[in-house]
Amino acid sequence: MRKALLIVSALVLLGGVALFSPRNVRNIRNFTQTAEAQAKPADFSGIWLGKGIQSLSPSDPMGRKPLGSEPDISYTAWGIEKVKAAKPSTGPNQTFVNTNDLALKYADPDGYPRSAIHPMRFKVVHTPDFIYFLYEYDQAWRPIALNAKHSDDPDPTWYGESVGKWEGDTLVVDAIGFNDRAWLDPIGHPRSEQLHLVEHWRRVDHDTLVDELLIDDPVAYTKPWTGSLTFKLDHNGELHENIYTATDELRFKTDMVNTINKTATQPAK
Amino acid sequence: MNTKLLGSLALTVSFLLLVSIPVFAHHGGSSLYDMDKVSTVKSTITDFVWANPHCEISFDGVDEAGKARHWTIEAHPPNIMLTHGWTRKSLKAGDVVSITFHPGTNGGAWGKMVKVVWPDGKELVQD
Repeated sequence: MRKALLIVSALVLLGGVALFSPRNVRNIRNFTQTAEAQAKPADFSGIWLGKGIQSLSPSDPMGRKPLGSEPDISYTAWGIEKVKAAKPSTGPNQTFVNTNDLALKYADPDGYPRSAIHPMRFKVVHTPDFIYFLYEYDQAWRPIALNAKHSDDPDPTWYGESVGKWEGDTLVVDAIGFNDRAWLDPIGHPRSEQLHLVEHWRRVDHDTLVDELLIDDPVAYTKPWTGSLTFKLDHNGELHENIYTATDELRFKTDMVNTINKTATQPAK
Repeated sequence: MNTKLLGSLALTVSFLLLVSIPVFAHHGGSSLYDMDKVSTVKSTITDFVWANPHCEISFDGVDEAGKARHWTIEAHPPNIMLTHGWTRKSLKAGDVVSITFHPGTNGGAWGKMVKVVWPDGKELVQD
């Protein structure tokens, strides 16, 4: 009996040594890496709707704090000057009549990432080479080129240049080439042409899509900061046209200001 | 618990539900409307504008003080109204409906639509 136990122990020891030999450890590592690389990309197909936040600041998503005082955002001198000059239509000092939010005042495009924050829906369409985000607001789209490299010197644009790759079920997007004419969000966080976004998109459950954004803009912010966007699957049918023009804005504002001026007991803010 | 108390409770809960709905704040919130207050007015429609950035409903009615007034209130843009059952033909001049809305600040006759109820009980809401 004692002899049999000794033989079994020796076999177990030899097996363990063989299992964790350098070659097998390497094989196990290779297998794991291959499995990760082969993990099936997720399917984001569908129509999604965000939560209607006003600010990308994680500590103040509804933009209730005075601009420039967010503990999670560190501004450069250029950045603080811009954010202090912002007159948004939301937040503690909101004004519509005197706003300098060009997306409202002149119907300028939202640009990215503000288009994802706009409280309207977007549709995700997968193709072999691209993933397209189709925004209901302003009939805009954002293409994500898969497994592609950035251009050497992309032109600054409203939506930037985005390339993406799958890491398991997470879509990692790298975006550059933005202009400095849009705000990051409705509350008025500025962006410069040096903006660099790194996003991790995950479908955390059937009805929920999450975008974790790293915002790196050394002209506006002294260090990168993170924002998070959550979207829910929407079941209200297809997207409808929503093209918003400067003439629409002029009519709306004229109607509103005329009504307020005729009836208000005090001037509108 | 009597019926009156139940009715008051239901009204309070309904109001809390209404004000807790995330606000579509494209064109400002509390700078233009009193979001803590809702008014309901029996209204005669004078115009219904189906357009971006927001649909507009103009109507005549009587305010809480008994004074005849003319309001114009904003609603969602057409693409969102469509998902809530509205069409461009939902209202026309001369229709008589009950309109609930957040009234304008400073006494202004500008507001933000909450819901419209027709005489047959049909209602369409914003959110």
